[in-house]
Amino acid sequence: MRPKTILLVEDNPDDRELALTAFATCNIVNDVTIAIDGVEALDYLFCSGIHTGRDPRALPAIVLLDLKLPRVDGLEVLRRIRADARTRLLPVVVLTSSREEQDLLRAYGLGANSYIRKPVNYEQFIQAVRQLGLYWLVMNEVPPIAVPGV
Amino acid sequence: MKPRVLIVDDSLTVRMDLKESFEAAGFDTITCGTVAAARAACHDGAFDLAILDVLLPDGDGLELLQLIKSTPATASRPVLLLSTEAEVRDRVRGLQTGADDYVGKPYDSVQVVARARELVQRGRTGPREHPLILIIDDSPTFAGEIRSVVAAEGHETAVAGTGEEGLRLASDLRPDIIIVDQMLPGIDGLEVIRRLRADAALRRTPCLLLTASDKPDDELRALEAGADIFAQKHTAPSVLLTKLAALLRAPRPDTAALPSLLAPKRILAVDDSATFLNELCDQLRAEGYDAVAARSGPEAIELLGSQPVDGILLDLVMPGMSGQDTCRRIKAEPAWRDIPLIILTSLDEATAMVEGINAGADDYIAKSGEFEILKARLRAQLRRRQFEDENRDVREQLHRREMEAVEMQALRDLSETRASLIADLERKNTELAQANSALVAAKEATELANRELESFSYSVSHDLRAPLRAIDGFSQLALSKAGDTLDPTVRRHLDRVREATQRMGQLIDDMLSLARVTRQEIRREQVNLSAEAHAIINQLRSAPPGDRAVEVRIGDNLVVTGDRGLLRILLENFLNNAWKFTSKVAQPVIVFDRLPEPADGAVVYYVRDNGAGFDMKYAAKLFGVFQRMHSVEEFPGTGVGLATVSRVIQRHHGRVWAESTVGQGATFFFTLGHS
Repeated sequence: MRPKTILLVEDNPDDRELALTAFATCNIVNDVTIAIDGVEALDYLFCSGIHTGRDPRALPAIVLLDLKLPRVDGLEVLRRIRADARTRLLPVVVLTSSREEQDLLRAYGLGANSYIRKPVNYEQFIQAVRQLGLYWLVMNEVPPIAVPGV
Repeated sequence: MKPRVLIVDDSLTVRMDLKESFEAAGFDTITCGTVAAARAACHDGAFDLAILDVLLPDGDGLELLQLIKSTPATASRPVLLLSTEAEVRDRVRGLQTGADDYVGKPYDSVQVVARARELVQRGRTGPREHPLILIIDDSPTFAGEIRSVVAAEGHETAVAGTGEEGLRLASDLRPDIIIVDQMLPGIDGLEVIRRLRADAALRRTPCLLLTASDKPDDELRALEAGADIFAQKHTAPSVLLTKLAALLRAPRPDTAALPSLLAPKRILAVDDSATFLNELCDQLRAEGYDAVAARSGPEAIELLGSQPVDGILLDLVMPGMSGQDTCRRIKAEPAWRDIPLIILTSLDEATAMVEGINAGADDYIAKSGEFEILKARLRAQLRRRQFEDENRDVREQLHRREMEAVEMQALRDLSETRASLIADLERKNTELAQANSALVAAKEATELANRELESFSYSVSHDLRAPLRAIDGFSQLALSKAGDTLDPTVRRHLDRVREATQRMGQLIDDMLSLARVTRQEIRREQVNLSAEAHAIINQLRSAPPGDRAVEVRIGDNLVVTGDRGLLRILLENFLNNAWKFTSKVAQPVIVFDRLPEPADGAVVYYVRDNGAGFDMKYAAKLFGVFQRMHSVEEFPGTGVGLATVSRVIQRHHGRVWAESTVGQGATFFFTLGHS
């Protein structure tokens, strides 16, 4: 069975490419699905818009979510993920530039599983991605899919 | 309209005498000889004043008195009892039944008219419509001539035939001018003027002296006696009128309220000897006094309780209550104390006189059949009393005026003070309102600036770092992919790009921290600075390269009240600096503790190191943003740290300062105002 996909929600193409490179560097072999804003992310998760017809049960292993996004921002995406029975247990890691305390508090308040601040230093970033992959993709046991009402 | 007087007396002589006297004084009269006739007259109520005899053939005057006083239509009419009194008790009974006054028989008609006029006019005030001119002349013909001349001018007139009568009328009527003939039976015109001038109430009444003589000496004597104008009897009426008009024009002070010395006086005579008492009272009545005879001390005191008197003549030796005791009793009563009291004694002994004077008597006199001295002494005592009253009046007036002046001044001061206070208040209010609106504007501006700063910080936090990550990331990728093949210079350049990027990232973080420190809300709690400092030092020790051997001494239990986050930033900056600037010394030492003595009531904390230090010349710049004491090559840094420290201290209302010697380390002191 193929490892589950990683949903990377990131509007900045530089950051996207650096992230993908970092995954490769860290030998993370999962497929990576890109969403360039909040709308695309939600369409993918709830199989609407450009992702109409996708199997809604095929959830990603993890969502890496930037906060500052065009159209629908990251916190709103997080809120909708947690509000829907199908996705409320989905691991979501906030990956953002912001170190503002208010962002951190709101993200955790809405149910983020983790909050990682993207460092300027690329070596440190690779380090972070390595630990992130190790933890969320290898160590972590995910809950069974779609258990409405749980 | 003339006032009407009801006269009730069984004696036709008395009725006729009073009728004549009252009509001459300008009254209408009704006369009755019996109670029955009087009842009918009372029933009509057509009188302004009643004069009642007490003993009447068909009844009692007191009955009539009660009738008048109990009938609503006549209750307010004054009643004067005129009676032969067997005893003082009769007088007291009459007054207690409601009589307004009581005059004993034999009476003096001038006195009765004066009393009556006083009772009728009581409560009536206001100036006379026409000037009243009193003419004192013994020649009815001549008096009539003057009367017609001045009456033609619209003046009112009164005429007296003798000096004594003139004086009584003057006191009674208070005329505007007195014309007096120099030649009179009894006291002459000059004496009349002299007596007028001696009376406080009348002394300012203008007097015109008429004389038949044209000797200059007479005029001099007249003026010396106090006459205002001297005129000869043959002066043409027009000249006389001109002189009168001049006198009338001159302003006169109002003395209407003052009692006149010449007004009829009531004298209480007290003696156990009926013979002497009768003789004395007759003598007094002949002088125009209303004499009240009392046979004993208790009787005298009973009388005083119901009718005021103007003077008292008191026998010293009496059975029962002695003269001394009576005198003492009278003088002990505040209402009677000022009544002149003369002791009469037949004992020509010094001890008796001394006893009398000691008992409070105003004068004493030996009893004898010669009454002239007694009368003169009585007059002197009455005058003394009047002058005392006058002086008291004057003193009271002066005092009142003084008080009024003081009150006026106080009021003026008060209103000025108030006005200035109000002006002050208004100005301060205006200033306050201005300050307030300025404050509101400033607050709004601050809030706007804060909101802008917030969104700016947010943008910086997100957007400014993204390009840095790209620069660093791709430089790193380039180096790792093609590092081996690159020219060493290019590799070095790429390294420089990455270093600059890190510094830029650090700078952004520091700036954000500074902004956060400035605007973040303060949450006060107990913070153990010692524990925080230990945690920070542990981090520093474990950070790469992790091989620094720094001796750190931290004081125990440095507990303060403040915002934990901000205080952590404060200590991080101080300790990071100390760590950083001791990196080039052989045996680095860092101390964090408190001074043993507080400064200005606040505990002083300090962080000391033995590192590079700085030149005190630049101490003032130390806490400004982007101010650095060393080059980046020497010690890395952004120049924001101490500015952040300064903000944290500021937000805790504390103080921060530093001391240093280059090459020997630096000490940073701080206080926290609210700790």
